[in-house]
Amino acid sequence: MTAPTAQLARPKESAPPSGSLELGTELPMVGEAAVPFLEIETLRAKEFIPAAKEALGSLIAEQGHAKVIRPVFNWAGRNSLFPLHWGLACCAIEFAAAFGARWDAERFGVVPRSSPRQCDVMIVNGTVTWKVAHKLITLYEQMPEPKWVIAMGNCATGGGPFRTAYSVVPGVDKLVPVDVYIAGCPPRPEAMLDGILELEKLIRERKE
Amino acid sequence: MSEMWVNMGPQHPMTHGLWNLRVLLDGELIRDVDPEVGYLHRGIEKISEDRHYNEVITLMDRCCYVAGLTWEHLYIIASEDALHLEPPERALYLRVMCDEFQRIASHLMWYAAFVQDIGLMTPFLYGMRDRDLILDLFQSFTGARMTYEYLRVGGVRNDLPPGFTDHTRKVLDWLTARFVDYDKLCLGSDIFHKRCDNLGVLKAADCVAHGVTGPMLRSAGLRRDLRKDRPYAVYNQLDFEVALADSADVTGRYVVRMEEMRQAVRILRQVVDWLDHHPGPVMAEQVPRWLGAPYAPVGKEGYLLKRNYPKGVGFSSVEEPHGEAQAYVVNEGGEHPYRVKFRSPVFANISAARQYLVGYRIADIPPIMGSVDVCVGEVDR
Amino acid sequence: MQPDDLTGVLAPKLGVRLKGVEPFPGTAGRVRFEREAALDLFRAVRDDLGFRHLSMVGGIDWVDHREVFYVLWSDDAKQYLVLSTDVPADDPRVETASSVWPSANWHEREAWELVGIVFDHHPDLRHLLTPDGYEFRPLLRSFKLHEPEELEVKARHV
Repeated sequence: MTAPTAQLARPKESAPPSGSLELGTELPMVGEAAVPFLEIETLRAKEFIPAAKEALGSLIAEQGHAKVIRPVFNWAGRNSLFPLHWGLACCAIEFAAAFGARWDAERFGVVPRSSPRQCDVMIVNGTVTWKVAHKLITLYEQMPEPKWVIAMGNCATGGGPFRTAYSVVPGVDKLVPVDVYIAGCPPRPEAMLDGILELEKLIRERKE
Repeated sequence: MSEMWVNMGPQHPMTHGLWNLRVLLDGELIRDVDPEVGYLHRGIEKISEDRHYNEVITLMDRCCYVAGLTWEHLYIIASEDALHLEPPERALYLRVMCDEFQRIASHLMWYAAFVQDIGLMTPFLYGMRDRDLILDLFQSFTGARMTYEYLRVGGVRNDLPPGFTDHTRKVLDWLTARFVDYDKLCLGSDIFHKRCDNLGVLKAADCVAHGVTGPMLRSAGLRRDLRKDRPYAVYNQLDFEVALADSADVTGRYVVRMEEMRQAVRILRQVVDWLDHHPGPVMAEQVPRWLGAPYAPVGKEGYLLKRNYPKGVGFSSVEEPHGEAQAYVVNEGGEHPYRVKFRSPVFANISAARQYLVGYRIADIPPIMGSVDVCVGEVDR
Repeated sequence: MQPDDLTGVLAPKLGVRLKGVEPFPGTAGRVRFEREAALDLFRAVRDDLGFRHLSMVGGIDWVDHREVFYVLWSDDAKQYLVLSTDVPADDPRVETASSVWPSANWHEREAWELVGIVFDHHPDLRHLLTPDGYEFRPLLRSFKLHEPEELEVKARHV
């Protein structure tokens, strides 16, 4: 049995760099058609670099530094969200399942890292107790800017079924600023991925 | 050489949860360890005192989140003892089915995490893939993937959906074939043996003295399995063997868990055949509707709270995937349990960490602690 | 093993300090003893009756007094045994079992921090589940749970 022949999209070799790239302030998200930035990527490096330099230079001169660099930065950031690899409680199992074969969260560029220095999003996947509260804050402070927090599940959102307990923090937003809340006890892996996509939307609209 | 304490945790890829292993190191050699737990202490025993009997089941699922149904079963047996109730036979078979599926699911979760610890990356995907098949089955009759609230005091919540048993047999066939693959990947690999043989040895006498139970104890060659020694539910009517190994090391624990999964498949085939031929009620008749019902009848919300149970103490003990779990439920005649106390097998297994870690190297900690199969939810409760 | 067999072995060793052996569901029985006899009883139960595995130690707060219970398992008899003793609420002390069964160590630390039972001669009686310096005994009946909002409102009025 022969392996099926792969019909991969080849880079457009014939198209010369136009010199004035349509690099708008709004870059489309992954999944949308006609991404100008992705087309640049398929060029050979020796053609790409001068073209990109020229295009960016003229755009910066025209619109200002912040207005041009920010969208590029956001585009790169939102498609490579590295969450902190840690498991607090039940939601951590669904967090792990999302990286399993069926859901494969890595296709969204989400790769868990064990060191907080390499992370830009902290997924609080479980109940936060007062005993771990200061350690959670330490981990959050160790993460480099820009950073985001996703409260995954009811416990991280508001204490969940343990909200009356003497040892439980009723919601992780008492400790660190939370950007996205995911409901569920525990949320299914789809819900977790949806939360990550919601965060990508937030990052897309980020201005400063 | 100067010695120093190193914290491995609470956020560390080795821990698989939220706990801290303080290690006293002399170079690479482990001189002493001091496990520090409690980072996930949620006060389940205290909250239970404020809850109706059926409401505690919700907490049980979250107590051990990889074996929720087994913990429900544990609590249900104790509270049925305390309330003097007798569930019907079909409910008992359904509970055994839940237990054994949960055992496979928990061991697959352990397999996924443990094999990744020793450096083999692909088995994580295999373990999670096959575990999802079992969770799909759970979802078809409980409605949830992890937190089920399926067992009830006096029976189970609902019967199986049509076509369930046929689908189950297909899943069992699939799993049986996959277990062969798993063994090829691990036991057939020299790297696995070099990494795991003669590591974390804990002999049977030490296991007994330090309260270690479950696969760790059986890997030391001691034949103790509550399903055989003190059969609960309908385990005395089922045909299975106790998984044993004699090496008392990490490889032994792997062998025992793999064999337990095969025996669980064997039990499940018998249970599924029985369920096919014995339809019947799944909730005991003497159980009042308000106790079996997940909510109070409309217009009778106060009715639920006015009931008083007869006084009593319930004690139960089940063979959980990690070891021997126990519940002690004191009922003083109110609508809430007076005191609930749980014994977690992993709690005891971690407390003996000094016995199986001292003398090894720091690089041996991930495989050894991986073979213990730590579930922090039940350690801290 | 029946409650009468247990009495036959234990009564000569403990005398009046043995308060009785009563049937207990799912186990060989429940041995009630005076706390002064703790160490003698533990040794007799382990060496003469063969209960070498200690499963758990727990405490119950009965408001006027507290109860400490021990659950044991024997591999020979394939049975559980429950030991139980009452300690006064104003002096909740009992001898540690960790010299007889090393597995009692963590269970007693937990019973100390949650129910407030002091285990004499315990090698390492410090906090296990709650943070260091936590002063409350959450599993006492006098410790009440609150909704978080309730606590916030109270704190605002103080």
